[in-house]
Amino acid sequence: MKVINLIPTLMLTSLIILTLPIITTLLQNNKTNCFLYITKTAVTYAFAISLIPTLLFIQSNQEAYISNWHWMTIHTLKLSMSFKLDFFSLTFMPIALFITWSIMEFSLWYMHSDPHINRFFKYLLLFLITMLILVSANNLLQLFMGWEGVGIMSFLLISWWHGRTDANTAALQAMLYNRIGDMGFIMMMAWFTIHLNSWEFQQIFLTNPKNTTLPLLGLLLASAGKSAQFGLHPWLPSAMEGPTPVSALLHSSTMVMAGVFTLIRFYPLMENNLTIQTSTLCLGAITTLFTAICALTQNDIKKIIALSTSSQLGLMMVTIGINQPQLAFIHMCTHAFFKAMLFLSSGSIIHNLNNEQDIRKMGGLYKTMPITSTAIIIGSLALTGMPFLTGFYSKDPIIETANMSYINTWALLITLIAVSMTASYSTRIIFFALLGQPRYPPLTQVNENNPYLVNPIKRLILGSIFMGFLISMNTIPHTTPQMTMPPHLKFMALAVTLLGFTVATELNNMTHNLMFKQPSRMHTFSTMLGYYPTTTHRVLPYPSLTMSQNLATTIMDSIWLEKMIPKNLTTMQKTAASLVSNQKGLMKLYFLSFLLSITLGLLIAL
Amino acid sequence: MPYIYINIILAFVISLIGTLIYRSHLISSLLCLEGMILSLFTLNALLSLNINFALSTIVPLILLVFAACEAAVGLALLIIISNTYGLDYVQNLNLLQC
Repeated sequence: MKVINLIPTLMLTSLIILTLPIITTLLQNNKTNCFLYITKTAVTYAFAISLIPTLLFIQSNQEAYISNWHWMTIHTLKLSMSFKLDFFSLTFMPIALFITWSIMEFSLWYMHSDPHINRFFKYLLLFLITMLILVSANNLLQLFMGWEGVGIMSFLLISWWHGRTDANTAALQAMLYNRIGDMGFIMMMAWFTIHLNSWEFQQIFLTNPKNTTLPLLGLLLASAGKSAQFGLHPWLPSAMEGPTPVSALLHSSTMVMAGVFTLIRFYPLMENNLTIQTSTLCLGAITTLFTAICALTQNDIKKIIALSTSSQLGLMMVTIGINQPQLAFIHMCTHAFFKAMLFLSSGSIIHNLNNEQDIRKMGGLYKTMPITSTAIIIGSLALTGMPFLTGFYSKDPIIETANMSYINTWALLITLIAVSMTASYSTRIIFFALLGQPRYPPLTQVNENNPYLVNPIKRLILGSIFMGFLISMNTIPHTTPQMTMPPHLKFMALAVTLLGFTVATELNNMTHNLMFKQPSRMHTFSTMLGYYPTTTHRVLPYPSLTMSQNLATTIMDSIWLEKMIPKNLTTMQKTAASLVSNQKGLMKLYFLSFLLSITLGLLIAL
Repeated sequence: MPYIYINIILAFVISLIGTLIYRSHLISSLLCLEGMILSLFTLNALLSLNINFALSTIVPLILLVFAACEAAVGLALLIIISNTYGLDYVQNLNLLQC
């Protein structure tokens, strides 16, 4: 009996289904209302179809590489369109499609009153297509196309309400920080072209070059830019200016994963280079601690969740730094579920409280919004690594492996501190938003009656509970996990999490009725995001602007055209003339004496 | 020597005396300077034509070029004096200052 290998066919089918709504917008007038449902249905079918190759891969462990179309050959560099369907991309694609499906259904409720909702859905779909191009790329050129594509769609979606100055600034910020990372990416591409003459992953991994520090540093810079690591991080909290579905899709589950995903893709090169591993580890550890500190005192619910995303991204970098790319990937997949769910629940709260985002003005939603509060509690528990929920299957192995590795102690310590802070700020969200008495105006109507709101959250709750178990039971680990360790190290993650929970709960309960004094210096440091945006966004542009102003007006106009030759010549001549002349300016006398001497000379000669 | 040369040299001498002797306006000196140059130009042109020395026909042209530059400089000086004093009376130039 012939068995046809369906993995390449069905994956391509799934991708082509996604591009069909885009083609319909080119062909016909998309002012009709059914475009939204066409898009959502397309994503649903693409998700269903893409599950089949994933299940086939789980059963047979067979990878596929599709090389479609030879685009061009530049000298000896062959550029073609090729897809790499291995464990990472086959697992991530259904997850991305599932989350996008849920978010599109949610935005049918959230963006219902927006007049340009068709365009919004088109942008979301374009983003999804470019993200899938990035994930399934087999050569660096295609990956770069996806990379730039998600950057552009992020820009367009963050500035969705472009009448608001803050949104435009945030979109520009995202674009600029991503660009700085792109420089590293292009350096990596250039190095590979020069030294290995190819951009295909197979050739890069086969030749296994020995001196890969420079391209991997470029890759680290690119990932730092795209995944908001320390130094290039301010764009992620600012990107909360976009609508909540945008924050849920881009800045929690998919786009910020692109940097980490590319680092994971390059694991054969990274496992030979200890310098890069250590730099990744330290960068990730600093990021996770810094953003966790900043998240402790924020007052905007979306910013807390955004900084939480940044902290988890730092944790993924730490995992790559201890040479466990597969654990980082599993954490990436599980994190997508509960982070998207946290964002969707916060969107539900924001809309129901009539666009109130400040947690100091929420409260008492535990009884009035049961599904949303359940979602937030389950999401926070999964985020902090509650045993046997989703986060446990990825976060706990990371902490255990980090404890048992030959690792920089300081990086390990601050990662553990950041894990306990995760529990603290999650408790803070729950305490301020859900518990206690309401602090919002009483005339807002709070209801969860719309199925478009409830169904996505319910699906993501199911995903948050079960996906970790399903993924970790159905995948083959690349490295053997640590089986034996001392009990105090085994319980370390759980212990610091519980510590964070109890400290936060105690503090919140004790200080709930006290008067708010002047904030201390640590508090201001944390609320102002460590003063990093305040300083860098002024210190860096100011010299450039003054230099360009000086160059244009002073040096060009004033000095070269005016002062250098005309005025200098004038002054020089005047000083010289007044120095050497000793005449008194009696013109007529001088002329008459000249005439007289000439006449006398002529008379005497003749 | 032919009569025409004496005529033009006389014109030159009269202009020279006009340059050196003037009452109050500086511009009359500059005008007589122009007269000198005009008579020199005519003399040069007539001379090179009468002697039939073709290569010296460029001399009047060069003289004209330098005369133009010099007239411009003279007028610039006149304007600077006129800027400070309002008129070009020679008795104003008694300050030894720029």
